[in-house]
Amino acid sequence: MNFSVVTSQFWPLLINGLAVGLIYVLISLGYTMVYGVLRLINFANSEIFMVGTFATVIVTRDVFHYTSAHDALHGWKLIASLLLLLIASMLFSGVTAVLVELVAYRRLRSKGTNRLASLISAIGTSIMISEGVRILTKSAPVPTPRLLSKFNLFTIGSVAIRIDTFMVIIAAALIFFLVDRFVTKTLLGKAIRAVSMSEETSKLMGINLNRVISATFLIGGLVTGAAAFLYMQVYENTVFNIGFNLGLAAFTAAVLGGIGNIRGAFYGGLTLGLFEQFASAVIGGQWKAVTVFTVLVLVLLFRPNGLFGEAIQQSRV
Amino acid sequence: MNKNTKRILAVVGASALTIGALVSTSAQAAVTSVSLVFQGPLSGSDALAGQDELLGTLTALQMYNDSKPAVKVTLVKADDQGDPSVAGPVSQGIATNKSVVGIIGSAYSGATIASFPAYKAAGIPMVSQSATRATLTDPKASDNGFPIFHRVVPPDSVQGPALVRWATEGVSSPKVYVLDDLQTYSTGLVGFMAPQLAKQGITGVVYSHQPKGTTDYTSEVSKIKASGANVVIYAGYYAEAGPLAKALKDGGYKGVFASGDGTVNAGFVTGAGAAAAEGARLTAPDFPFSGVANAAQKAAYTKATGEPISKADSHTYVVSSFDATNVFLTCIKAGKLTRPAIQNCINSGTFDSMSGVKLKFGRYGDVVGGAPIGGFKVVGGVITYVAAK
Repeated sequence: MNFSVVTSQFWPLLINGLAVGLIYVLISLGYTMVYGVLRLINFANSEIFMVGTFATVIVTRDVFHYTSAHDALHGWKLIASLLLLLIASMLFSGVTAVLVELVAYRRLRSKGTNRLASLISAIGTSIMISEGVRILTKSAPVPTPRLLSKFNLFTIGSVAIRIDTFMVIIAAALIFFLVDRFVTKTLLGKAIRAVSMSEETSKLMGINLNRVISATFLIGGLVTGAAAFLYMQVYENTVFNIGFNLGLAAFTAAVLGGIGNIRGAFYGGLTLGLFEQFASAVIGGQWKAVTVFTVLVLVLLFRPNGLFGEAIQQSRV
Repeated sequence: MNKNTKRILAVVGASALTIGALVSTSAQAAVTSVSLVFQGPLSGSDALAGQDELLGTLTALQMYNDSKPAVKVTLVKADDQGDPSVAGPVSQGIATNKSVVGIIGSAYSGATIASFPAYKAAGIPMVSQSATRATLTDPKASDNGFPIFHRVVPPDSVQGPALVRWATEGVSSPKVYVLDDLQTYSTGLVGFMAPQLAKQGITGVVYSHQPKGTTDYTSEVSKIKASGANVVIYAGYYAEAGPLAKALKDGGYKGVFASGDGTVNAGFVTGAGAAAAEGARLTAPDFPFSGVANAAQKAAYTKATGEPISKADSHTYVVSSFDATNVFLTCIKAGKLTRPAIQNCINSGTFDSMSGVKLKFGRYGDVVGGAPIGGFKVVGGVITYVAAK
């Protein structure tokens, strides 16, 4: 174990852990919101993320016609380009999420089939999307041209904060805040929470179940798409199976925080992101997954509803 | 049993033996086609490596077919994704195909080891174009491929020291950080770096691991910076080497980035971006196709792949795949059409390589006399051959 790295690299590890953790938070919202209304894990959420990363590449490369030979952008052109990319990534992922709901869930739900049928259907849809992209890309990693120059935005003490890391932290926190407000304050948000609490009662209260479920998939997809955009600004590479590890991490974060609980996803994602960074630096990258899942099992042994599940039931989706 | 019965039985028995012999002879004579298997990653994150190598095999087959051979050779593509867990079931399926007389591959060491049980049981000879783990041909190792395994490239016991020499060449007071992806190939390669590092008097080497499939190297970059390393050697494949090199560059690392043959692929430069990949030092038991191929081989390459010869050097292990395929084709041309016959042919024969060196396999499958390791450098976004290292 190398504890000295914590003292010498504490702030970079903390900042990077926050950035990774907040990306997990956004992806885990896709899992946790769908679980909230359907009590099912949407296994296709990792592919919804992957679609978002490819949307970023396609728009950058084929719509904006930027190549790796271009210089990074500056000023309003940069801001406008990033905003358009964010919107495109969210739209692609959002539409994919709604289609997944229509194809993998709705018909089976309307037929009153076993929940396991929907689960398998979602896994099948996930594999279809992933393999489709694999064939189209011939399995090759796909880089995106760099729009955002990776300069140090400011320095706190001896720690330089890079523009892309800063953008991820601020944007992801803001998006989470907006989703949380949306679910707690708007009429549709209340309907989503009502369905989450009791599907039958919600129907009796006149809530259109299909519309609410579609809206939940759409919001989950939009947020996952935003995560994909932010991820691509930092790592600039994607591949057909990019969603697998990240999706697994985000799902773990959702369970850690208390699945079905929006604020639980926030705390779970941040905890996981920070824990991964520090565990990786101290114990070694090869033990990262082992330590994370050991902690998850221990947490669930003592708190079966997740780390923050019981304390914040009020904000359940 | 009376005399007549004995006589009848004798006639029937003799007839049966004669018919059996005739059928057997005609069956032997009827062999007009056999299958060779190309095994490597043709899909998955390492697909480019397998797709590159396939070009060499296609070129050799093109030349074979152009020579109007008596025996038709069908190529079966077996996609093991470079993954041992995939290679096991794939090899079991291949082994049941009676027409298969040889395996060109597997490309990756881990997948090769996972394939041994099926191919050893079926007695199918293998000639790998790029599996470099030393234990594959080490008689003392439990995972060696004796007696069926052979390879046309030198093992990591040759590449490991060469990689250290090339990575530290011209670096004053090298402080080395070795990172691997915990794969069979990578851990094997790292094992052969340590003696060379000690031989060069380099101390304080940091060894670290990040599993294959890692996309976020920020914590590793923090560790590298904390260690004060000025030479980072990565043992792994291009799919992860690209993002790692990019993270190092973005994290402000200014030292040498070096890696082995798993990274000698255009996908590394694509993944890292030309700026982050620039100057990376790479090694591989491989040489540029255009530098060693003759006119006929170049023409066959273009005919088989549809690519201009100018693109050939951007692919990895084309030359060694050509050589591995040619080992089998030479035996088939000599009329060796069964698995045991080809196995004997490989063990006892001497084969031409593209570079002109004669290939003869030792008892445990390595080429007698070895072969040099090529040193490469990324220059202007292109992996460029520098010299033998």
